[in-house]
Amino acid sequence: MARDGATVLPGGAAEASAAPRRGFLASVGEGLAAWLPALPLMALAIVFLVVPTVELVVRSFYTPDLGWNLSFWQDTLTSNGSRKAILTSVRLGLVCATIALVIGTPLAWAISRMVTAKRSTWLALLNVGANFGGIGLAFGYMAALGTYGMVTLAVQKVISGFMPPEIGSFTSLVMAYSYTNVPLFVLLTLPAMGIIRTEWMEAAETCAATRWQFWRYIGAPVLAPFALAGWLLIFTWSIGLYGLAYALGRTASTTGELRLITLQIGLTLNTGAGKEERAYVLAVVLLLLATVALVAYRLMLRRALRWFT
Amino acid sequence: MVHLGRIGRWAFFAFIALYLAIPMVAVILYSFSARWTSNILPDAYTLAHWGEAFRDERMRNAFWRTTWMAIAVLLLDIVLVVPAVYWQRVRNPKIRVFAELSAAIPFVLPFIVIAFGILKFMGRSAPQMLGTPLIILLSHAAIAFPFLYWAVDGAMAAANVGRLNEAAVVCGASPLQTLRHVILPNISSGLAAGGMLVFATSFGEFALVQILAGSRFENISLYSLDLLLNTTSQVELMAVLTILMFVVLFGISVAVVYLNRGREGGFLPGSRALVTEKNE
Repeated sequence: MARDGATVLPGGAAEASAAPRRGFLASVGEGLAAWLPALPLMALAIVFLVVPTVELVVRSFYTPDLGWNLSFWQDTLTSNGSRKAILTSVRLGLVCATIALVIGTPLAWAISRMVTAKRSTWLALLNVGANFGGIGLAFGYMAALGTYGMVTLAVQKVISGFMPPEIGSFTSLVMAYSYTNVPLFVLLTLPAMGIIRTEWMEAAETCAATRWQFWRYIGAPVLAPFALAGWLLIFTWSIGLYGLAYALGRTASTTGELRLITLQIGLTLNTGAGKEERAYVLAVVLLLLATVALVAYRLMLRRALRWFT
Repeated sequence: MVHLGRIGRWAFFAFIALYLAIPMVAVILYSFSARWTSNILPDAYTLAHWGEAFRDERMRNAFWRTTWMAIAVLLLDIVLVVPAVYWQRVRNPKIRVFAELSAAIPFVLPFIVIAFGILKFMGRSAPQMLGTPLIILLSHAAIAFPFLYWAVDGAMAAANVGRLNEAAVVCGASPLQTLRHVILPNISSGLAAGGMLVFATSFGEFALVQILAGSRFENISLYSLDLLLNTTSQVELMAVLTILMFVVLFGISVAVVYLNRGREGGFLPGSRALVTEKNE
């Protein structure tokens, strides 16, 4: 469609009249006309997205006195704190994405088969979870599971001496992250659940297939690419979360109990503590992880969508 | 799931519902609690904190700053994105390659990393920009533009903009006239849905504001963090602020769902682009 439109160009007549002798100026003008309306957006994206990204990559490999070298990378990857930050971030991403997958897939399936009124209630609840994040969620988490949180106090009535996971511990982060991740995962994969038709299940049943066989040979192969794509998105978003992690883990992070890539970068910038060159390397590590996940996501999505073309 | 018994199934749903509801309920109770000692529920209730919150000048300023910034970001993104998408559809499809690549950056790269990059680049080339509302405006416009880009692109595809443009050009309309009188009225729901996501992105943003401006541009997120980490502060004020922020973001997401109703291709982010790419 777009290409049909391109044959009749706005201002096409002016170009046609200049066509017999196409000078340098005319071709420059034509090139400009082809890009002009997009130039402001391109300028913004270059200055505020592309160049800053390149800046970090370059700074992780370059020092004015030594030129291009790997010393920052060596220094960072042999430092215990940075290594711990990378490993914890990856572990957090893996755990959070897997929890979202394990809880979110059956939940999405169940919601997709609900009657409208019940489904709307669940969707509203999921939207609460998906929109309650950042600093506010950190506060909500503390109000529920902090030392004097509502849930903590309630459980202590039953089990005396119960203590919730310490704020800023790995477990507390997983629990807080999952609050947003599980609803997001469900909202992302819910449309895909509609692909599986009830008729398919009936057809399988007619052929004497058990429920397990139906899921093993039909349901799972169709849904798996969607679920894995969702897993990859949650992984990417989890390793990059900053506001929530900062609000919950700042104290644990300054004492070195908790190390995450995003927190190490944030603390270096906010307090000036720690070596800045390590923050460059950590930022590039995050960039690499995110890029790999995005490429995998695109491949997975392509596979998932083959049923639709 | 299928193998879970009835009770197991019920427990599974009850657990999730409680898990999602309790933190929000706790925050709401906090905002109305007059005294809350060591009981599960507050000892007494009051409406006073809501009044206090609205009288708190620091909070009013933070709220105002956050709101006008989100509106400014939205307007800037509309001005930048709509002409670019229009041109990519009627004149130069190569714009898409660039736009999709740039749109992928804020989609995968954590905002803290983008903030770090902007800080280093601007610190070197335009240090006077740091700490100003302008740098927040431009960086928010950059990280939020993909939402509008994808929404407008989808709306233009649905409205068959190529055909509309052809008709308008035949009638002698200039590109600007076409955009204003033909294209915009036809993409309004996509524009509204994408625009709301842009607004929400700026409204709830924390990392860029903290790194690039800090206390010089205290928005709701920064003020919340200050209230949360500063132990002497009032928890109740924090509760009110959290609810206000949530209501805005929740309202926006409900509106976006409503505007997008009945639209195809909502599988996962980027899937619409993939499907159209295959079909074209």
